[in-house]
Amino acid sequence: MSQFLQATVYGLLEGGLLALVAIGFSLVWGVMNIVNLAQGAFVITGAYIAWKLNTELGLDPYLGMFVAAAALFVAGYVIQRLLINQIVNAPIWMTLLLTFGLDLLIVQGLQLLFTADFRAINTSWGTDGFAIGDVRVPYGRLAGFILAVAVTLALVWFMSRTRSGLAIRTTGMDRAAARLMGVNVRHTYALTFGLAAALAGMAGAILGSITTFSPSAAGGYTLQSFVIAVLGGLGNMWGALAGGILLGLVQAWGGQYLSGTLVNAIAFGVLVLVLIVRPAGLVGRPYYEARAEA
Amino acid sequence: MSATREEPSTTRVASRGGLNLTGRSPAWWLGAAALLLGLVVLVLAPTYLLLESEQRTLGSVFMFVVLAQGWNLIGGFAGYPSFGNVVFFGLGGYTTAVLMAKAGASFWITVPAAAAVGLGFAVLMGIPILRLKGHYFAIATLGVAEGMREVVINTGELTGGNKGITVPAVGSEATTSYPGNTGFYFYFLALAVISVVVVWAVARSRFGYALRAISQDEDAAAAAGINTTRTKIAAFAVSGVLTALAGAIYAFQQVTIYPERLFAVDITVLMVVMAVLGGAGTVLGPVIGAVSLQYLSEWLRDNFPDYHTFVFGGIIVLAVLVVPMGIVNFTRDAWRRKRIALFESVRQYRL
Repeated sequence: MSQFLQATVYGLLEGGLLALVAIGFSLVWGVMNIVNLAQGAFVITGAYIAWKLNTELGLDPYLGMFVAAAALFVAGYVIQRLLINQIVNAPIWMTLLLTFGLDLLIVQGLQLLFTADFRAINTSWGTDGFAIGDVRVPYGRLAGFILAVAVTLALVWFMSRTRSGLAIRTTGMDRAAARLMGVNVRHTYALTFGLAAALAGMAGAILGSITTFSPSAAGGYTLQSFVIAVLGGLGNMWGALAGGILLGLVQAWGGQYLSGTLVNAIAFGVLVLVLIVRPAGLVGRPYYEARAEA
Repeated sequence: MSATREEPSTTRVASRGGLNLTGRSPAWWLGAAALLLGLVVLVLAPTYLLLESEQRTLGSVFMFVVLAQGWNLIGGFAGYPSFGNVVFFGLGGYTTAVLMAKAGASFWITVPAAAAVGLGFAVLMGIPILRLKGHYFAIATLGVAEGMREVVINTGELTGGNKGITVPAVGSEATTSYPGNTGFYFYFLALAVISVVVVWAVARSRFGYALRAISQDEDAAAAAGINTTRTKIAAFAVSGVLTALAGAIYAFQQVTIYPERLFAVDITVLMVVMAVLGGAGTVLGPVIGAVSLQYLSEWLRDNFPDYHTFVFGGIIVLAVLVVPMGIVNFTRDAWRRKRIALFESVRQYRL
């Protein structure tokens, strides 16, 4: 029983960070109808920035994450404005190919810079923790979870209370109408993508302090983002948080009770099933038409 | 040329479906002769021209022609961007490997079995998944491929799991004698020719027109009397069979196969890149894309061993921006308008 509770706590806490990775992904897909295959690469980039700051300057990852977020915001803004905006109206495999090319560039670039070795950011306090009965709660994971919830709250506030946030939502609902109302769509798209990249980088910095990472881990985070975004409904921030926690729990329980990597097969099975039965996600509605036959 | 004058123009339109040899322009005959000559050269090449290693390289080029054509049917013609077509490749490969290793079957028995598995899986998976479109379809196919890889990894008694499975290829246990580089060169060449002929036949048939109609506007296609569900599933099935056959030959060639390789997302991406850069929805495009990209990839590997994947990523990004409609369409437009318009497509597709 205590093993089950321990797995539950770890799954819950890590699920929050997975949600932080997926919120941006979900937002980009929901608002712009772009599936960003480079999302995992942004996460790993954030982890490397925090790691570099930690090893060179001794900066705590919870401070390094702001640097990572800022750097990735700029990178994301520029990528969307200069590259992806140019082919937004092309057939959709174009955007898939473009972001896959970017993924290759970033992941291989990181590998050339930092080699393929596994890294971890060691903090003095991250592995300490307290215990409730038999269940251990490490401070590092707990702080990551609190951060994820706080960022989700901040993002919900931003999207519903600021002009930029409203512009993003309007653009997602009807691009042409948003333009007529004077929204600068090119800037709004770039802002959305930059925001998504920044959140991924922030999550990466924290993930780097609680697990090991290497450039090859990027693909896994992208795939998890798919599952979470689809579970939660595209562009739905609460849905992404719920989906992330759900995936974290399922993976933790699966790791406990199922042999090998069978849990991954289940995750993909659930993904396909949800897509077929409810393409709008477990909650919410699709921004873009999902089915060929209505 | 008397035949040309006797043929009324209406007959030409009506006989479009079949291979009509009368009333063809000299350019058509020239093209047909060049194709035939090219084929003869490819058949004779292993004996007179190519080293063993070059045959191996060309064999992999032919394999990617098949894979790109397979994707072209569902992605290019029907406009359904499958991001999990590698699942057919993996299933075909594992059908061959498991039947040869566990049941002691001859390679030639496993080939139709692999095709049947590809067909069956495409139909079973296509019925629910082809109801989705756009990114939803892409992600669902990706999920199926990734999930199938995990299933293969976790059914170790049958498939060998992560440790891989080895086909009995040498010695007294071999069920079919190993044909060597020259043999596989011909297997892949034959399959590549078949795939091009299939796509060519589809492109000029009623079926092909139905697929193009679906790609342009599915509702309008349905309104025009096309059974869109059946047409899409048929395209997916042909795509699955071709891809599974390539996987079957690949498994025998590699002798030992691993799930990580046979269900690799990279292979799907290569199919897409090759078909799209050559010209999705054309007959020759995927051939040009497969040949040029596979050679480019080999060249990069030889000249930049450390960062060839990095350069490859850069090329994908650049190519998407410069020739998103494919080399074939790009060349045709440049020829017709008598000018080369770089970044023309960006003007068309940008925000």
